[in-house]
Amino acid sequence: MSSDKRLEIYDLGLVEYGTALTLQRELVEKRIGGLVPDMLLLLEHPHVYTLGRKGVMENVINRELPCYRVERGGDATYHGPGQLVAYPIVNLNLLGVGVREFVNILEEACIETLAAYGLEGCRIEGKPGVWVGGRKIASIGLAIRHWVTFHGIAININTDLTYFYGIRPCGMEPETMTSLQQLTGRMVEMGDVKKLFGGRLAGMLGLKPVWLDGGRLEYLKVYKSSTTL
Amino acid sequence: MSERYEIPEDLLYTKDHEWVRVEKKYAVVGITDYAQKKLREIVYIEMPNVNTRVRQREVLGTVESVKATSDIYSPVSGRIVDVNSKLLDHPELLNDSPYKDAWIARIELADPSELDKLMDADEYARYIEGLEEEMEEGE
Repeated sequence: MSSDKRLEIYDLGLVEYGTALTLQRELVEKRIGGLVPDMLLLLEHPHVYTLGRKGVMENVINRELPCYRVERGGDATYHGPGQLVAYPIVNLNLLGVGVREFVNILEEACIETLAAYGLEGCRIEGKPGVWVGGRKIASIGLAIRHWVTFHGIAININTDLTYFYGIRPCGMEPETMTSLQQLTGRMVEMGDVKKLFGGRLAGMLGLKPVWLDGGRLEYLKVYKSSTTL
Repeated sequence: MSERYEIPEDLLYTKDHEWVRVEKKYAVVGITDYAQKKLREIVYIEMPNVNTRVRQREVLGTVESVKATSDIYSPVSGRIVDVNSKLLDHPELLNDSPYKDAWIARIELADPSELDKLMDADEYARYIEGLEEEMEEGE
């Protein structure tokens, strides 16, 4: 087991939220059954709002975009083009990693990614996510079945932050949110951020990253329905 | 290694870190010390309704720790005859007293032979030790 511990990283490009949700739920079941290795899905969504399991519907003000209530922790959030969404589907039980510890690892992988752009990200006690200079750049919401994680972290790269004005993100004021583009004053290459984040996360979990750059969505669906390890 | 986690001798255990105390035809269930230490501060629990039926390994409830929701699974099949509603107002009991004050549900056993599939305290201790070794190799 330990000799073959890898993290398969898939760059899926732009994927509709509902499609990615179905895919995640399928992969979680397969990971529980040991049919697939630990995986990380990297993607962007078209504009969408989502609410966590206990999220408050009143925190979604703009009712014009699609809105999903899902099983993850946390409250209201926004996803859209220019935002990096990372869905780790990993077995915490087999990794011996705790749930809270895993939240910290996701935050830390994000902080180290930001450092490559000269930014100092940090955690704020009682306010999960990643913060830069008092503003929030990344949000976290996980769900766990049989100790296998899904959902994950959303990091604002070139995000159009005006969409956060349609909600109260995690119950906070929308102007709290920031992006890598806003902080550096320039557009940032999404592919670079994916490389940095995926590599850091694999390292922190003690897993060997296996990049499947050609792993677009259709490929992943077919591959995963036909493969057993 | 496993001394770090409390594992009472008289209980049975699942690989998902739930425990069972058999009391005649009933099973009292909860989550283990290992589970609560891995989850950390539990802030919320969703529990099943009394009189509903669950099957072994089906979702019994859900706990939320900081920004993460985790499902809890029923170690046995049967009818839920009682739930510990004190946990709704005091989910922190799951961290403070996982084996005593924070029992989650009492289930009338539908098939006592299912208990054979569970681990005893020694087996569970070895199982946890195996998981912890994985972690050290990973670091």
